[in-house]
Parts: sequence; C-alpha cells; structure tokens
Amino acid sequence: MKRIIFLSTILLIPALLNSCRDDVLDLSPLDKVDRGIILTSEEGVRIFLANLYYQTPFEDFAYNHTGFHGALTNNMGILHDAQCGNAVNSEANFLDPGAPSWWEPGYALNRDINLLLETIPTIEALSNDKKNELAGEAHFLRAFNYFALAKRYGGVAIIREYQPYTPAIESLKVPRSTEKETWDFVMSECDEAAKYLPPARTGNDTRRATKWTACALKSRAALHAASVAKYGSKAPLSGEAVALGLVGIDAALANHYYELCIDASAAIMEGGAHRLYKPNPATAEEAANNLLALFQDPNVAPEEAMFCVGYGDPGVAGHSIDFWSNPSQTSDGAHHPGRVNPTLDLVDVYESYVTPGQSAPVVTTADGNVNDYNGYNRSQTYLHFDTPYDIFKNKDARLWATVILPGTVWKGATIRMQAGYIEPDGTPVIEAVKASITVNGVAYHTFGADAWQDYSGFDQQHADVMTRTGFSFKKFLSPVPVEGQSALGRSTQDWMEFRYAEVLLNYAEAVVESGYSANDAQTKAKDALNATRQRAGHTTDIPLTIDNVQRERRVELAFENKRWWDLIRRREFHEVFNNNIQKALCPVLDLRVAPPKYIFIRKHIIRAVPITFPEYRYYHAIPGIGSNGLIQNPNY
Amino acid sequence: MNAKTIKYYLPPILAAALLVHSCRLDNYDAPDASLSGSIIDAETGELLQSDVINGTTIKIIEHGYDPVAPQYLRVKNDGTYANTMLFANVYTVQPDLRNFQEIDKQDIAIGKNTRLDFRVTPYIRVKDVQIVNDGSQIVATFRLQPTTSDVVDKIGLYAHSEPGVGHPIHQVAAEDTLNRQVAEQDTFSLVIDAAKHTALLKAGRAYYFRVGVLSGFPGAKPNYAPAQQISIAP
Repeated sequence: MKRIIFLSTILLIPALLNSCRDDVLDLSPLDKVDRGIILTSEEGVRIFLANLYYQTPFEDFAYNHTGFHGALTNNMGILHDAQCGNAVNSEANFLDPGAPSWWEPGYALNRDINLLLETIPTIEALSNDKKNELAGEAHFLRAFNYFALAKRYGGVAIIREYQPYTPAIESLKVPRSTEKETWDFVMSECDEAAKYLPPARTGNDTRRATKWTACALKSRAALHAASVAKYGSKAPLSGEAVALGLVGIDAALANHYYELCIDASAAIMEGGAHRLYKPNPATAEEAANNLLALFQDPNVAPEEAMFCVGYGDPGVAGHSIDFWSNPSQTSDGAHHPGRVNPTLDLVDVYESYVTPGQSAPVVTTADGNVNDYNGYNRSQTYLHFDTPYDIFKNKDARLWATVILPGTVWKGATIRMQAGYIEPDGTPVIEAVKASITVNGVAYHTFGADAWQDYSGFDQQHADVMTRTGFSFKKFLSPVPVEGQSALGRSTQDWMEFRYAEVLLNYAEAVVESGYSANDAQTKAKDALNATRQRAGHTTDIPLTIDNVQRERRVELAFENKRWWDLIRRREFHEVFNNNIQKALCPVLDLRVAPPKYIFIRKHIIRAVPITFPEYRYYHAIPGIGSNGLIQNPNY
Repeated sequence: MNAKTIKYYLPPILAAALLVHSCRLDNYDAPDASLSGSIIDAETGELLQSDVINGTTIKIIEHGYDPVAPQYLRVKNDGTYANTMLFANVYTVQPDLRNFQEIDKQDIAIGKNTRLDFRVTPYIRVKDVQIVNDGSQIVATFRLQPTTSDVVDKIGLYAHSEPGVGHPIHQVAAEDTLNRQVAEQDTFSLVIDAAKHTALLKAGRAYYFRVGVLSGFPGAKPNYAPAQQISIAP
C-alpha cells in the first residue's frame, strides 16, 4: 500500500507540474512597462521625458572624468576645468582622457528618443499642438545627444528611426556619416526643436527645454563645428576616417557654421526673454557679490539662467562640489577638501580695471618680469605688500567671485595660504617642512598658523588637502555649511547648462571669426563682448578682437566645463599643453622688514609633471569596431 | 565558513576546476614572427632621427582578414624600429606618419627575424649642427636642407634629462617660427639660457639637447639632428 501511494505520488508530480503555458516566451516582463501603457497620455509622456532628461549628457556638477552622474563616485575631486589649465588637483597631475565615453549610453538614449518620436503621433489623447510640442522636446534632446557624440567622435551613425529587434544583425548596422553630415543633423534637430517648443515654461515645467534653449544649443554646436572647420588644419590627422570625411570639416564651411551660430544667438538676443542678471553694478565689489549670488543659486536669475539641471535629493541625486572644493579650513566635515587649486595661469588672465583689454599677470618684482618661474632668488627685488591679497587690487571682480585669494574671508574664516617666510638673516623657508621662528617676541609660522587645521595651503605633510597654487576655489560653493557633508553627494545647488552670457560670447566669437557684418553685427558683437565685462564692473569698452573674446570667455565661463571644449574645437589643446607645467603664486612673509610684509613668488607648482596633449585625442576612439564594423578614428 | 560547508563545497569546486581546465586559449600559434629595421636617409645613408611620441609610425595590415584593424609600429628616436610579437603572415607595410616623403606600400611575408629597411628622403635635413656651451648659454648653430618646396614651419632646440628629447618631450625649448622658404647656405642659431631656467636645468647636471625642424608640409612630423649631452655650467 505504501508503495502504491509512493508510486502514484511520483506519477502525480509530472501531471501537477505540467501546468506550464506554451506562450511562456510571449509573456510580458514584470520589470518593464509597455509603451502602450506609459505613452498614452501627456502625463505618461512627461514621465518618459523625465527619464530622457536624466539620461541626456549635460556636463554638469556630476560630470567628470569618471563619467556622467559621477557625483557619488570617488573622482579625486578632479574638476573638468582642472584638466585643461584652469586649476590643478592638489594630488593628481595627469591629463585624463577627460570626457568619458558617450557611445553606448548615447545610442541607448537615442533609441529611447526615437521610440518617443515614433509613438507621439499615435497618442490619441494629445492635441496636434501638444504632439508637435512634445516632439520638439524630443528633437531638442536628440540634438543635444548628437552634439555630445559629434564633438567626441566626429561623424557618427545617424539613426533617426526606432529600430525593431531582429536576428538579422547586419540590417541594424548603420555606417558612420561624415562629420559635416553629423553636425548638419544636430543643426536641423535644433531647428525642429525651436519650431514648436514654447518660448517660456511655468510652474513645474521650468526645467524643460524652451525655444530659446534649442537656439542656445544650436549657437553652441554651430560654433563648435565652425571652429573645427576653421582650425582643424592646425592639428592635421590622416587615415581612412579622414579620407572619408568621417572626421574633419572642409575649411570653406567655417563661415557657414559661424553664420548659423550668429543667427541662433541673435534670435535669443532679440527674443527679449533672456538678458544678463544685474548688468550694471555700481562697484566692482557689488559685481563680485552679484556673480557669487548667481552661481550659488541660479534661481535668483531666471532672466540669465536659460536652462538648469537640478539636484533635489541630497545623498542620492545631489552633487559634491562643496565636498571636494572647499579650502581645508572650511571643509565643514568633508574628508577630502582642498582638491581644486586654481592656477596662476588662470589668475593672470583676468583683466585689471586699470589696463582694460589685456591680461594682467600678477607682477611680483621691481623689474616686472612675469616669465621667471624658477622660484625664490635672493638677488631679486620683490615688491612688498601689507596683506596677502593687496597684490590683486584692481583685478576683475570675477577673479574675486571665482577664486578664494590668500588672506581673504570665506564662510567666516580667513583662508591662509602662505608658502613660507624669509628669515631676518635672509634665509628662505619656502614650501619646506613646517617651521616656526620668533622675531621681536612674535612667533611666525611658515604656513601662517601653527596647527594645520588653521591654514589651507602648501604644507606637504598634508598635501592632499592643501592648495599648491596659492589659490582656492569659490565659484558655485555654498556660502553656508552643507548638511551631512562628511559624505559625497550632499550639495544641491542648481547647474546652469545654458546661460545668456555664453550666448553673447558665442555671438561675439562667431562674428569676429567670420568677419560677418550684416545687420550691424560688428557693433552688436562688440556690445555683446563688453556686456559681460560691464556686468563685472568694467567701465571702459574694449575692441572686438579674437584675443579679447577668448580672454573674456575664459574668465566669464571659468569652471563651467567649457574650457576643455574650447581648446578642443579651436585645436589649441596641443599648443597649450606641450610639456606644460602649471604655475603657482606663493605668498611669502618677509621677516627682514619690520613690520613683516608679504612678497610673492611666481613658480612652477610643486610636484609638477609636464603635461602634453597628443593630437590624436582631438577625437575619441570608437568602441567596439570589431562588432559594429565602423571605421575607427585616426591613430587608435 | 565552517568545516562542514567547506567539505560540502570543495568537491564540486575541485571537479569544476578539473573540468574547466581543458580548454586552450585559441587555435593560433604564439606570435613568433618579428619585423625590424631602420629608416635610412637614402642620400646620406644615415639613420633618420624621429620621435617616439607623435613621430614616425609604420602601418602594417595583415592579409587574410576582412575587416582587419591596421597595426601601427612606432619608430624609435634613432630611426630604428622592431615588433617581435607578430603572427607570421603576409602584411601590407607602409610608413604612415612621417618626417620624410611618402613611399609606396609593399606586401611582405613576415616570418622569424624579418628585416625591412626603408630608404627615404627626409622633408628637411639638419646639417652641420654645433651645440656649444657658452657660459650659461647653450647655443646651437646649424643649416637646413629642405627636399620639398614647402616652407619651413619652425625650428627648435629642445632640452631634457632623457635622450628621448624632442618637440613632444622636453623640459625647456627655444623655438623660432620661420614660416618661410630657407636656402641651404642660411645659418640658424638658437639659444637656451640655462640661467633663466634654473628650476628645470640644474647647474652641474648633464642634459640632452637636440635640434629639430618642422616642415610646412601638411601633417609632417619634425626632423632632427642626433641629441647631444651637455653639462650645465655650475
């Protein structure tokens, strides 16, 4: 009997288990939503779009050499601008490949955008106007995505349609278009976007693209294409990709793209929706305060902040600018402050109000030689200053708003960045082991204070948190301590992806580079160049020259992740970074005079490594050519 | 992990290790072929100086595969090159980036110790180079012999502690942009004043100095004279 029960149980099992369906391969996955569910209403499209915006390669606070959305990764606090000369990292010297790969995520995003574009016409719940507007938004995102691809890879595969999955893999492969065709696609996508996007957004939609955002993207992208056409021959490449036009643009097309930039920029400038924030300050100090406020919270300036990326969720979707970039003294609990050290190279570029229209290198010696970077020289006559910051008197307000200068106050603390002293007998103690000396009953310390927590520079025993350039970072930083800052990703300041000042400077550059003169463009471009200067407290206009525009661009947009691409598109990277050693300004207390005064040493940064940009890196390598069959970029 | 679980997991792990250890990496023989040789100035018979970084490259394309990714061999500073880890096969070989006039591609059967020298015409010969130490000043004088009608873009004197010195690798450089035609009898002079670079060129130490010249031919790489070691006056 027992055996019968046992046997029948065994026989029963297959019978019971035989419940499987023969449509098992057709079941809908439980972790994905079908487009028939989500893309049926405006609200559904809105949710879908939110994800597309998240994927879009905005080069924001969370963008760095480790990738997009990298705010929670340990990137050593190496800002994008610290890889192209505006700053050095307190520890690392390397010139990283800089921009991360945008190939696979780019095509993943493109696929999602194409799905949306394919579905929008079929959504019955939408009016025609709404369909056009939403499609315009998708075109904006596709333009931005292809801009990100084109500036890295040159000509790429243009996939306009949503490709259905098929086992016939070969039919899915799309060859590279030429670089020109790719830029033209970006241009036409911007036009499609601008056609139907609304001129303004309200309420919960203020972070969505507008007509003016699309124009601003076109302005930026056209300037990039024009520059590649005009200056590509400065760094000639060779090989199959060049021969087929997959990289490089005919120089004869430069003015065509410059004019597209001029038109797109002019549309914004004449559109009336955007203008500079507080364009006419009474004093340089007021200008500096205005600019600090603008970057600490762009929401004060909707007239200038054309398109912002927000970070609503500290610890999850926040960013880490305050964590890495504060001087050591105001770390507020962050473990790795002091990483961002603006260079003397950048500080030199800021104009003086006394000598408008030229860089104003910091003069430290009686003979005015600003090209000696060999360090302290006993036979040299150094200028004496009462404070560590008097030497920057009359320098552009933007220097004061971008950089913490030695001896100035930040978040209630006097930020000490002192490299050493000269003993009364003339012995220099500079960038050396920490020491103290008593002169006339007063104790002096090499780095400006006894305890390392009370200074922010030059002490090599705490090199990771000490500036080695004599400057600390200020732009964007929260003026109040960030809650929970011992962890990454706690900062929530918004990022301005597009702001009006860039549009003005794009316009000025395109006009001066092309010599365009219709519609009084030369005058308007000179005004555009001087508008951002006036906002920074300048009162003397300077002429429209390419040098003036580039200097203005570098100081106005410093640390906004533009300089890397400016060096790339203008093919200046290999010229600027040819065995380049970046420079520091060392404030030194001179104890030979009573009362002691400050002298300054222009020198190579300590622990320097010469950095060279190889020319093949003007384009990135295309990944996966073994399987995708694409033609590789030169020299990879 | 206690002893019991180890006993439980160990046999399958060992079995797996034994079973998995059956595969070969691939079916190919190890790369035992090599290609080496020199870039030689056809007129003077001298090795043609180059750069390791951004200097002459030789493009080789292996036959029998489609698509096939070309390989690039880098030529050393002294004008010699070698790749000892190639697969024996027929290759199409042609210098790619160059500081000499283009030469035709050739199909070569590469096997063990295959040698291939290229006899070429450099864009510019650097002649009669003299580098002397005059106090703190290192003075280079030389003449140029262009072999094309292109302008001479720039000339340079480069200094570095390593013999691989050149335009891509230097601590100090004295460059002069000419952007004009030059005649063979013209004498050029470049000066590096070590006293102005005390942080980089330390007194009493020896550094390598090398004269370079860049042709205006589009895409040309610099031509060089051999590097010379010179001590900085103490």
